[in-house]
Amino acid sequence: MKTTAFTKTYNKRAVLSLPEMELPDGQITAVVGPNGSGKSTFAKILAGIEPADGKKKILSGVSVGYLPQKSFAFRMSTEKNILQNGNDPARAAELMRALGIEPLAKQRAKKLSGGETARMALCRILMGRYDLLILDEPTAAMDMESTLAAEELIRETCSEQGCATLLITHSIQQARRLAERAIVLHRGELVETGTAEQVLNEPRQELTKRFLEYYGV
Amino acid sequence: MGSSVQKAIELIFSADPELLNILSTTARVSLTSSILALLLGVPLGILYGAGRFPGRKTLLILNRTLMGMPPVVCGLLFYMLFSGVGPFRHLKLLFTVKLMILAQVVLITPIVVGTMETFVADTAPELRETAKGLGFGRGKRFRLLVNECVYPIFSAYLLAFARAIAEVGAVAMVGGAIAWKTNVMTTAIMMYTNRGSFTLGIALGLILLTLSLIVNVALSLMQGRLSR
Repeated sequence: MKTTAFTKTYNKRAVLSLPEMELPDGQITAVVGPNGSGKSTFAKILAGIEPADGKKKILSGVSVGYLPQKSFAFRMSTEKNILQNGNDPARAAELMRALGIEPLAKQRAKKLSGGETARMALCRILMGRYDLLILDEPTAAMDMESTLAAEELIRETCSEQGCATLLITHSIQQARRLAERAIVLHRGELVETGTAEQVLNEPRQELTKRFLEYYGV
Repeated sequence: MGSSVQKAIELIFSADPELLNILSTTARVSLTSSILALLLGVPLGILYGAGRFPGRKTLLILNRTLMGMPPVVCGLLFYMLFSGVGPFRHLKLLFTVKLMILAQVVLITPIVVGTMETFVADTAPELRETAKGLGFGRGKRFRLLVNECVYPIFSAYLLAFARAIAEVGAVAMVGGAIAWKTNVMTTAIMMYTNRGSFTLGIALGLILLTLSLIVNVALSLMQGRLSR
């Protein structure tokens, strides 16, 4: 699928100005960039949480699933939270097992720790079927073991459902492990895009090189 | 002092008809007004907290002002509207329980609105982002928001009830503290103390304090559950 070019302005200050971009079906596209580069705003606009300038439509006829950076638990059990997004208890159990939260199924979700809430939220979004799945820092609150399990689950879902997946991440290593394509943003502008291998291993742009150096890659 | 308290305790357990009448009038006024305030205040609080519409900030300022309105001012306003020279005199509601309830609804609804608005304004953005991200429609998002509000609704109700039962200024002005008709606990305490009859006043005071303790314990338990 393709996103149309758009801009986003806050208080007369342009924070995002992006050209048309391609998000291939069945592939994971990582969006990387320093803090304040507009990664999360980009995700929110694509998900329809925030409007682009002029309320321009960025995607049409596409169902979008979006997992925000900060996970929110509804006031009910962990399992019921997950089943809110699809009445398939077997699938919910499978997802919870994969992320190690099955023993917490009947527990009140508000009582989960930050990492557990993040795992529950990932299970919940993966219950749905979308044309485009946007995950904003899905593993930021998770430990190493959970992160690797979550990555596996994301990879499987993307390839089984054939949906385009946009992964917003700070971790270059994670982008390398998971993504087929990469987008580098800096101060709200597109710096570089291409295959993850090319962008994250042999970047053409000076800004990308500096960004990778900063993260010690 | 000690003997007065002892007599007051005896009075509470003696099922004194006047005491029972005061308690039933108080219960009628406080329960009805707090339930009506809840029915009005919860939707308004959710609207103010989650909605984004022109004039919202002005309405919030107005509500916060009304939250601090002195009960006697509320009483004065209703007295002027319903007394012999007021525009609503033909309704003949002055010195009735109905007008006491109405005055208390005006007094305590802003408290319910304020409590709900504060909670919803804090919770709604994250809930909206998550639910919208999952592709949920407006109806489901609203149901989830209401589900989040269960404890704040209880909390707002208890606050409203506590304010209603302890309020004296408005009910005294519009009810007139007429014995066997509009006398509630707070106005009766004032009336009997002015007459030098402390026993009934102390008995009512003890009941009010006990109710206040129960409401506060319930509120603490609610807060405990909310913080989890």
